[in-house]
Amino acid sequence: MTGRILWLVVIFASILVLPYWVYIPVLFIGIILFPFFWEGIPLAFLIEVLHGSGMAVLPLLISPLALSVLIALIILLPIRERLRSYV
Amino acid sequence: MKVNYLPKNRLRHPYLRRIVILVTIFIFGAIVFSFLDVVILSIISPVWKAENQISRSLRNSATLFGSQKALVEENAALKERLYSLEAELLFLSMGRVQENTLLELVGRKGQSNMMAVAVLTHPPQTPYDVIIIDAGLNESITIGSQVLLPEGPLLGTVSEVFPKSAKVKLFSADGEETNAILERNDVPVTLVGTGGGNFRLAIPRDIAIEKGDRILSAGIISRPLATVGEVNVQPTDSFKAVLAKIPINIFTIRFVFVTP
Repeated sequence: MTGRILWLVVIFASILVLPYWVYIPVLFIGIILFPFFWEGIPLAFLIEVLHGSGMAVLPLLISPLALSVLIALIILLPIRERLRSYV
Repeated sequence: MKVNYLPKNRLRHPYLRRIVILVTIFIFGAIVFSFLDVVILSIISPVWKAENQISRSLRNSATLFGSQKALVEENAALKERLYSLEAELLFLSMGRVQENTLLELVGRKGQSNMMAVAVLTHPPQTPYDVIIIDAGLNESITIGSQVLLPEGPLLGTVSEVFPKSAKVKLFSADGEETNAILERNDVPVTLVGTGGGNFRLAIPRDIAIEKGDRILSAGIISRPLATVGEVNVQPTDSFKAVLAKIPINIFTIRFVFVTP
């Protein structure tokens, strides 16, 4: 649990001050490392709000980054379960 | 008595439940964050300002300690200055004075009420070609306000405005289309942004174009938008694929001008 919170802080801090090629991989590493990392979705939205261009109405719903995070989380659900079952 | 449960039922339901939770968080987040953007940006803006100040003061104090490091940084600063001067030279070569005189003669004056603003974040901190400036509604900045570099080139337009900050979408943002003119032969072209300060455009193969040619904005006051970086043409193609870039390094922008 502590590791998860620490990772969240790291992602949050990197979103604020580091380049995108640091915080986006760090976000996806968190999704892979921690089970059911739902916090990744609000963090992806935070990236969109802070650094996105937001031209349309509710552009966050079609945000490619947030969608990718959602898809990655859904795909990882069965994969993670299988890895645990057979390893 | 031994009881065997079917594993299928046990497995499918947790997934569905979790997927529903994730989708709910996604939709809820999309709605909440789209309304909270003003609040979030107003909270984060002071952090960026502080970060800029700290990094600048650290840079200055570091020069006192390491001579080698100081030289490297001085080199970087000089490179930045070189980019800036190159862009300025590019702009001046158009004969700005002559243009202003002509505009005054026909009753159209150049915009002079520009405001200098600091850049809070710029690529590569932002994944899209977006910069955030430290002036907003309080400084009469509106959506669509033009943003220029101090050296003259046009950079983008304001896409979102908040009370004390604003987001500027650069013309080089991915998929962004901008009408422009190829200076060499006054041919109207459409620049398509590809991110990272780069553009692509296609022109008929009969039109002459060379590396280093300037591409200007289509308005009455033409400003440099990009310079041609590469021209690709195959013998079978009827169009030339041209790659262009913003005349300065957008990763080091610190100040810009905004027309309110």
